[in-house]
Amino acid sequence: MDKIENLKREIAQREAELQDLRKQLAEAEAETPSVENGRDTTTSQSGGEGWKWPLEEHEYERYSRQMIVPNFGLQGQLNIKNAKVLLVGAGGLGCPAAAYLAGAGVGTLGLVDGDAVEVSNLHRQVAHSTARVGMMKVDSAVAYLQGLNPTITYRAHATHLTPQNAEGIVSQYDLVLDCTDHPTSRYLISDICVLLSKPLVSASAFQTSGQLIVLNSPPGKGPCYRCVFPKPPPPESVVGCGEGGIVGPVVGVMGVLQALEAIKLLVRGDHRRLKNAPADGTEEDVKQVGMLLFSAMADMPFRTVRMRGKRQGCFACGGGDGSALTLTELKTSLDYVQFCGINEPVKLLRPEERISVAEYERIAREKRAHVLLDVREKEHFELCSIPGSVNVPISRFTARREGAELEDLIPGGFAVLPPDAPIYVVCRVGNDSQIAARKLKDWGLDRDGERFIGDVFGGLRAWKDGVDPSLPFI
Amino acid sequence: MTSSAPKPPRGHFSILYFASAGSFTGRDSESLPAPLALSKLFSELETRHPGFKAKILDSSLVTVNLDYVDVPGEGEEGPVIQEGDEVAIIPPVSSG
Repeated sequence: MDKIENLKREIAQREAELQDLRKQLAEAEAETPSVENGRDTTTSQSGGEGWKWPLEEHEYERYSRQMIVPNFGLQGQLNIKNAKVLLVGAGGLGCPAAAYLAGAGVGTLGLVDGDAVEVSNLHRQVAHSTARVGMMKVDSAVAYLQGLNPTITYRAHATHLTPQNAEGIVSQYDLVLDCTDHPTSRYLISDICVLLSKPLVSASAFQTSGQLIVLNSPPGKGPCYRCVFPKPPPPESVVGCGEGGIVGPVVGVMGVLQALEAIKLLVRGDHRRLKNAPADGTEEDVKQVGMLLFSAMADMPFRTVRMRGKRQGCFACGGGDGSALTLTELKTSLDYVQFCGINEPVKLLRPEERISVAEYERIAREKRAHVLLDVREKEHFELCSIPGSVNVPISRFTARREGAELEDLIPGGFAVLPPDAPIYVVCRVGNDSQIAARKLKDWGLDRDGERFIGDVFGGLRAWKDGVDPSLPFI
Repeated sequence: MTSSAPKPPRGHFSILYFASAGSFTGRDSESLPAPLALSKLFSELETRHPGFKAKILDSSLVTVNLDYVDVPGEGEEGPVIQEGDEVAIIPPVSSG
């Protein structure tokens, strides 16, 4: 074990040294004329005397393919070069978005993330690598980006964005990309962008779905996240990628589209339009805002819905009347966790309606007549399960209509069981199992108390901790 | 979403369920009788899918024929969903 730890430490140290070397190299390259390919470059020293072109020489080579695209041009490249862009989140969205923005030559690219790289990130978070597992995501991403384009400036903010640090970080940039994974950060980022007049490109992805929308653009005119979703989803319905899953290219395509929207915005120069600037007395600069919906499995995978402008009386942007949130309020009195709600553990069953994993293990060992229902979704069940358990996903309980045939709920039906044989329910950690057990009771399957119906306390996680540590996935 | 919505039968409109709305109802789309006042949409859907309103609909974006709409409260005046219309329920996706 010591050997493994030592090797990990040594790798981390060398990664840090490499990163430092890359940075030094980038700085040296920026100052010295290029001698690549053995060409004599002394006569064309970028930025030096005699150099009369607006971009440096190496930039014409690096960015030529995009600059010659119709309507992109030199001015588009200059806009990109002079821009400072912040990506909040260096995960499934942030990695591809950052790669394309760095490749395109954004002058300063900032990354905010307080997490470290995990092996389970690698199937989609393409800037990280197996060798950098355990490293802070921002440092791992910057190491990758330095390799891609060492000629631009990177800023790594190894922290989560909070109401307290948001102003200090976001105010350093012209444009923000929301690449985060939770409603709390989505509302915070939108609010700070409204307050600091920064346009915001917001994308998200889950399982096989994605959404993309450009908010607060131009600043003070376009709708904010609260205009679109004034009410957060109930906390129990918020499932992360760790539990619900995500297909790599689904989040990848959303991150790439996010980079595209950012590049479009920068090339047009929308990020420099001042808040409430007189737009020639007309309102025509507020473009129709659309939200792109991506449904990877559908016959028509891309749809765009037309949004309205700002919402009247919006809590953050005021919907036009100017009154609204202030920076001081955001820092001192806004509680995003409370606003989005806290996911309390379910308490639907009394203690006597719940059995421990040790008790269930004994019941199974003694081969007492019973049925064990595992209410996780079938993809989870397939990965690992308790021997003898029957899979009935929780969605079949919640989707069941009143009066539907109960016997169809489990294979073979409940009728094959002795009328007093207990029914135990298990799930991942012990929340859905209570919901399912409660429903079975409400539907009368406990035969007025003749049959015990209850759940296994702590679910598969407790089973792994207490009975079978070999379970490969919870 | 495993397929695009089939054209609704005569006297119906189609409703599309995106992201978690699809997981909750166990389907990508369905057809409902038209016309239906937009203000009655949520209660109609709640009858069909108990728990749908609090868990999904109240925090979702609603569009009719790809245009954002504000859903009026029960009993308030508002637009009417017509035969052949396409309504979409779009809950926020937050992960990334």
